[in-house]
Amino acid sequence: MYSLALKRTLIPSSSCVRVCAKNTKSEDPSSSSSSSSSSSSSDSDDNSKKAKPDNEQKLQRLNTLLQNLIQNDTVVKSMKLDLAKPRSGKPKKESAAADDVSIKTETIEKKMVDAVKSVASNLGGDTKQTESELLMKLLNPETSPTSSRNLMDVMKGMKIDRETKTAEKSRAEQVRSILQTAQSKLNHEDRKPERRMKRPPQQIRPKRETVVEKIDLFGGESLNIFTNKSELKDTTQTKTWQRLYERDLKLAVTHPPSNYFQQMILWTEQGKLWNFPIDNEQGLDEEKKVDFSRHVFLEEHLEPWCPSRGPLRHFMELVCVGLSKNPYLTVNAKIEHIMWYRDYFDSKKKLLKDVGALPAESEAPKAIQ
Amino acid sequence: MLISPIILKRYNRLNNTSAITFLQKLFSSQAEEKIEIPKRIHRGPTDILRALETTISQDPTAAHYKYHDDPFLIPMSNVGKRTFAMAQEAGKKAAHWIRKEHADLFNHREADPIIKVFLPKVSFNEQSEVSEADLKQVINDVLVSEAQLVYKLLKDRGLDISNETRQALLELLCYTNDSDMLAEDFIEERWFRQSAKSKEKQRKIWKDNSLAEEIFISIENPTAEIYSAMIQGMCKYFQVDKAWHLYQESQEKGLTLSSEAYSSLLRVVNFLKESNDLRWALVEELLGKMNEAKIKPTLATLNAVLHSLSTMGGGKVPRTLALKVIREFKGLGIEPSLGSWYYVLITYCKERGPVSTILHDIMPEVENKEHQCLDMSDTFFFVTAMDICKNHLNDVDLGKRVHKLLHFGNNYNLIGDSYKESIYYRHYFGLTINNMPFEEFMQNIYNLLVPNIYVPEPGVMAEVLNQVDFNGAVEYLPQLWSDMIIFDHINRENLIESVLNIIENNKPEDGSKFHEIFAGIAWDLFNRLEEQGEQRFNKLRLTGDQLGKVMILLLRNKDFKKACIIMDKLDQEQHTVVGVPKIEALSMYIDSCIENMAPSRALACLQYCSDCGFPEVEDLGNKVHKSMTLDESNLAKLSKIVGPLS
Repeated sequence: MYSLALKRTLIPSSSCVRVCAKNTKSEDPSSSSSSSSSSSSSDSDDNSKKAKPDNEQKLQRLNTLLQNLIQNDTVVKSMKLDLAKPRSGKPKKESAAADDVSIKTETIEKKMVDAVKSVASNLGGDTKQTESELLMKLLNPETSPTSSRNLMDVMKGMKIDRETKTAEKSRAEQVRSILQTAQSKLNHEDRKPERRMKRPPQQIRPKRETVVEKIDLFGGESLNIFTNKSELKDTTQTKTWQRLYERDLKLAVTHPPSNYFQQMILWTEQGKLWNFPIDNEQGLDEEKKVDFSRHVFLEEHLEPWCPSRGPLRHFMELVCVGLSKNPYLTVNAKIEHIMWYRDYFDSKKKLLKDVGALPAESEAPKAIQ
Repeated sequence: MLISPIILKRYNRLNNTSAITFLQKLFSSQAEEKIEIPKRIHRGPTDILRALETTISQDPTAAHYKYHDDPFLIPMSNVGKRTFAMAQEAGKKAAHWIRKEHADLFNHREADPIIKVFLPKVSFNEQSEVSEADLKQVINDVLVSEAQLVYKLLKDRGLDISNETRQALLELLCYTNDSDMLAEDFIEERWFRQSAKSKEKQRKIWKDNSLAEEIFISIENPTAEIYSAMIQGMCKYFQVDKAWHLYQESQEKGLTLSSEAYSSLLRVVNFLKESNDLRWALVEELLGKMNEAKIKPTLATLNAVLHSLSTMGGGKVPRTLALKVIREFKGLGIEPSLGSWYYVLITYCKERGPVSTILHDIMPEVENKEHQCLDMSDTFFFVTAMDICKNHLNDVDLGKRVHKLLHFGNNYNLIGDSYKESIYYRHYFGLTINNMPFEEFMQNIYNLLVPNIYVPEPGVMAEVLNQVDFNGAVEYLPQLWSDMIIFDHINRENLIESVLNIIENNKPEDGSKFHEIFAGIAWDLFNRLEEQGEQRFNKLRLTGDQLGKVMILLLRNKDFKKACIIMDKLDQEQHTVVGVPKIEALSMYIDSCIENMAPSRALACLQYCSDCGFPEVEDLGNKVHKSMTLDESNLAKLSKIVGPLS
């Protein structure tokens, strides 16, 4: 592109200008500027010394070129802007026709304004006053409503045109303004002191206005497959399966206990804990079948063999008292215990008789005989 | 005195009334007084405990009961909670192992009657003498591998077992798919086990040629019960072709299967037929067969049909059919359970389908009731209902109703497991945070549920931070920051970023205490990321921009020394730090250098600015030059950096 190429040629020269200006300012020639810049500065130094009168001319030309460039650019830009204007979906032909009309009316307008100006100058006096008055009269809607409306429209269009023309800023200005807006936008985004104020909570998904339509869950018709309801029978053939399923269901709602009572409930259900209310005989199912009297009254087991009097009887009664108080032995064990003594004394019968612990033969009960 | 007559009056009145009541009592007792002794109410072993338990309400400020009540031992993050609970469980397992390995050490009788669960498990080996009673016992205790072994031993010895025991064994094997089940004791493991099981792709996991099939083949004339057990097992583990084959075989023989067998077939119709029409036709056919055979369907049948309907895609047909099915079963006296409603919900509210408000109609059916777990799908209701409240309807009132129902009676048991619970709360948080005033959310929901009941995931935390930013509610930031540290969120880049942005953007007024707090947060953040272990795989590093923000925050708090540390890091690690800070941060730093009379630091910063290629370096240099008295060497440095000084 022409403009680009021009730019490329322009930029180094301008930088040269800047650098040379710097160099002239800095007093120390051996100042520690970078090597590249120093080399370029030496070049420019030569140039500046030799062609100083030329420089001014060159600058002038450059400026004009730049001006041209800017103007060209703006023209191009405005054209581009025109192109980019949204056409709001209107057919092309119509808009073209409208353009034509606007051009025509524009010329008519110009003619009219010229005519008004000439009239004013002919009249003399305050020309501007008369000019404006005449124009006002022309634009007055009361005189000719339809045409004036058209004129108004036209004027509006003209205004827009004029605006675009007056907005012929220099490129630098344009760039600056764009930068400024961008900056301000950025700043606006960044700086959020106003965010400190409380706003209503944001709704990320705007609440859809869902109309809650009532759905009758049980009202409508059914499938009508099960016709003979009364004849249906429960079939639980797979008992183990059912048991396992129920176990799983129970486990599905058995969660880690959240307090000690829940823990105790769990332990109770698992069979690890005494059941409440506390029962000392919990689980002693075998013993429940035996009456307490059989535990306590054991003398009846002495009757068949033990002498009714004497030290042996006395000893055995003490044994019975001891056994009756023992909670750890079953009744059978207690009876076995007594029977062991019977056999023991039986084996020692002779000795016992000699000592006199057993009464004489005649008095002795039948069992030991 | 004035008072005495009043007192006297009162005393009289008192006397009168008491006399009257006394007389009344006297007469009434004369008329009739029958003492009715109330009938004894039989109390179960846990009734008293349950009564006591109702006196304890849930305390959201306390850690869960299972954790040690010690501030140093209470886990806060999700990972910590899981680790602690599983460690406890592991201890339990170790105890189980020791009891099993060294059963001979546990011969003492420590309790009378014996507590059976404390006894070592009966173990069998190839040489054990076994009988049918042993087999019954292990089936009863759900010990699958033991049952297999005992059965084998019985076979080897040539002992016959009764049909009844064989049936029980077959059902056990079918139910468990020949593999052992998690013991009843391990509640924590069940609670924390990722319930990916349900999400897992449903594929064939039935073990072919297993003992169950062996037993089935060995039976000459299988009964209906045996067919039922096999069909149920195969359907449960998606061996659908064989199951269908067995079903047809049994129909040819004219056997009456159990309702469970039909239910399990109904559950897998989408594997048996290709198109939705054919699937529904099969459902109708199976239901018709049940009717013909006079088999009473159960809740499981209802849920199986609804499950199949929920897989039949969107559209109107499955929806109307689902309601028809519910009506049909209601007519049979089968009330839908929460699981049934779960299936209705997922049938109606498809992710890409039209919005349906059926939850509004379901809620009155289930509200203010205590629900029992009647079907395995019941535990899916709450999490799905909350999901629909948030993602489908975005209706906070409905969400609150669901939440209330969850806390009604013992309904909380139906939450499922820890995974479902956290999803439930994720949806609940997401719903309320966007639809409630932020203060109310923090007061009533966040402070109540976090951290003991729910620990927000990083995604939820990001949303909370978003709302903090949006509402400018920076006063909650210190709390959220400490929560984030506890929950182990500081390795999340997006969260770090948004925390820094919030405290940087919401600049408090001068002299506000927030300067110090924010600087504290920023410094803490910086240090935590610095102290990350070297061995860490993907270390999170602050970018240059973020470091700049940290610096700004520190400087706002006039903390020059700490800012210098940040600057040093920026300067020394230029090649590792990604990006550069904003010029505002650097110019603020230079201002601070000027204030603190630190020319060399200012120059270092200027050097850094010029290295990064900031065009503002000239202005800054001039500023330094103007506002500080620099000695010769510094001046030389300065001119070296920014060029000639003005």
